Amino acid sequence: MAATAAGVFHTSYASELRLRHTTAERLRLVLVFAGLLALPWLVNTYWLGIVNTIGIAAIGAVGLNILVGFTGQISLGQGGFLAVGAFTSGLLVQRAGLPVPLAMLAAVLVTAAVGTFFGLPALRLKGLYLAIATIASQEIIIFVVRRWGWLTGGQGFLDVDRLTILGWRVPRTSFEFVWYWVIAGLAVLAVVTARNLFRTALGRSFMAVRDHDIAAAAIGVDLTRTKLLAFAVSSGYVGLAGALTAHYTQTVTWERFTIDVSIQYLAMIIVGGLGSVAGAVYGAAFIMLLPPLLAELADALRARVPLLADQLPAVQAAAFGLVIVLFLLFEPRGLDRIWRRAKDYVRFWPFRY
Amino acid sequence: MRKLTLVAVATVLLAGCGGPTAGGDNADNKDIVVGVLADLTGATADVGKPYNEGMLAYVDNVNAKGGVNGHKIKAISEDYQYKVPVAEEKYKKFVGENAVAIQGWGTGDSEALRSKVKDDQLPFMSASYAEVLTDPTRSPYNFVVAPTYSDQLRVAIDHIAAQDPAAQIAVLHHDSPFGTAPLADAEKWIKNKGYRLGFKAYPMKAGATDHVGILQQAKAQGAKYVVIQNVSSPAAVVAKDIAAQKLDMKIVCLNWCADELFMKIAGPAAEGHLMIQPFAPPSSAKPGLQPIREYCQGKGVDLDAKGLHFVQGWYTMHAMVKGIEKTLADGKELTGPNIRAGLETMPAVDTGGVIGPIKFSADSHRGATASSIYRVSGGKFTEVAAGVTPKA
Repeated sequence: MAATAAGVFHTSYASELRLRHTTAERLRLVLVFAGLLALPWLVNTYWLGIVNTIGIAAIGAVGLNILVGFTGQISLGQGGFLAVGAFTSGLLVQRAGLPVPLAMLAAVLVTAAVGTFFGLPALRLKGLYLAIATIASQEIIIFVVRRWGWLTGGQGFLDVDRLTILGWRVPRTSFEFVWYWVIAGLAVLAVVTARNLFRTALGRSFMAVRDHDIAAAAIGVDLTRTKLLAFAVSSGYVGLAGALTAHYTQTVTWERFTIDVSIQYLAMIIVGGLGSVAGAVYGAAFIMLLPPLLAELADALRARVPLLADQLPAVQAAAFGLVIVLFLLFEPRGLDRIWRRAKDYVRFWPFRY
Repeated sequence: MRKLTLVAVATVLLAGCGGPTAGGDNADNKDIVVGVLADLTGATADVGKPYNEGMLAYVDNVNAKGGVNGHKIKAISEDYQYKVPVAEEKYKKFVGENAVAIQGWGTGDSEALRSKVKDDQLPFMSASYAEVLTDPTRSPYNFVVAPTYSDQLRVAIDHIAAQDPAAQIAVLHHDSPFGTAPLADAEKWIKNKGYRLGFKAYPMKAGATDHVGILQQAKAQGAKYVVIQNVSSPAAVVAKDIAAQKLDMKIVCLNWCADELFMKIAGPAAEGHLMIQPFAPPSSAKPGLQPIREYCQGKGVDLDAKGLHFVQGWYTMHAMVKGIEKTLADGKELTGPNIRAGLETMPAVDTGGVIGPIKFSADSHRGATASSIYRVSGGKFTEVAAGVTPKA
């Protein structure tokens, strides 16, 4: 096995299909896992809470990237699909008394079904037109969860009980710690399945549709089936993220799933890198870390630049916009591409390529 | 490769079973930590900011005088932009910093956090006076210092019924749990009291630059009274619209728009409208305003410019601190359940007439029931009736 990617040649299909080809890649994987295992001991509860929200966002962003980045079907309906997952899981646990894992599984399936339904316009629409159609799905779903009194028992939001694992109710003091393992486990699972999805014929057909749908149809890809499956698979991931949000935050309210959230997720995959599973994770981390880090900065500079602290939400919103513009200008392929270039630089040094 | 993944996942799961309790540094911190949720930049910031300033001023004042039994109060104030999800994040932060009590703000977040403070056993006061928060069986850790929105609206309805028994009432409300909180109770009230009043509710679009559309609907209803359950800025827009459209309607502001800001923004259009306000404005001569005025003079703050929400914040924090004082006086440790007991057993908090004495008990977390009715005349509060409670 080669130490680095320079001079990797395949002698069999199996070797070409491997996820990791070099020792360096494996070493990095081990380091990532070691980091994931050590993390909860290294940060305090507040930051662990942020890490947990990153984990949930990463699952949702991976899902969105399957649809937007890999299949080329732009979607602004992310928030609505998150809401479907959250309400499904929350309701099944609170009203039907289902155990949480089963309810989350059901949420994945229901969201996949709803996503497929709202994906139907994609059979006829592309680009901007599809974006508007998915905004419609976003608004319809939010309208329903906001105004349908039965969902929330008329109180406008849904209370979800704190997580119990085999009869053990997670105590307040180790709440984030326990959740970290749940979320990290599911996030790893989501990333691994997504990575593998694109080694299968189905994943390849997603990319064929993205690159050129007519050409894809010509080589035998069933466009209807592929587009709808992309919506289903993507929404399944998003449903999982929604279900996790419900049980983790213990309050399901429509306010958490507005169109702002859809745009935020779109920003995650743009910043992270369209059409890259790892990129979705980087993007989720970046976008979720931006506001708290800015808050820390504003706090540190409070004495010298009070404006920053006084206008924090405005500063955060401006930074969010600035980040998207800068990425689109300087690295439209996102953090994933930056990371690759950094690796190449080290690998080929002292040569440029 | 696949084995490696499996091993890693297994390690992750195993580690989850026997980890440390990732709590903060607890123990002998002498400060009393109180989490404060504030809306400084959100939809209700116009009234949220002075309220928050009033709270922090009270804390500053107490600390300057040596604190509570020698303990300084550490108020962690966070802007949550009137967004429920942000409120939850900030709440988690407070819990992480070992807060023993929380001062909240809006109805949406107070109700969303209701089950969490019950879980975490943290006494919670808010500027939301929704009825559900006063019932200890449903909201055991919530305390409401002022008459509920429902009580305020009942007072308004009683007053309207006395003036014009067959009037049509249009309730224009914030499109949120805050806005809709008193509606069902009000309709029940009209029915139970046998009033002949008409009653219709209209949600106000957030951020609207005019409310002519809903006013047209209210006109079609034949509304003579427009009750507003919203904050001052949108309420003032309604007042201006009524004046501009020359409609024959009288506004009745419930407490979140019954303030100086409403009169200032609406200007002459505010004249003659009514206000239901449990807290005494700085322009009144209540003795309870004296300590606030003294503090403000010392700090060079203009209390009259800050307005009555500053006073409201001040006395809400006062009630919480009184409960903490009682807990310490009883020789108990400052934990959520003990502070709750302290609040429930403390003698009625005298506010020097700013708001009726605040009294909680184990069966009721309804601190006060009386509101005053004011009329705007000459850009000032003119008292119509003081200390009005809903008719028995």
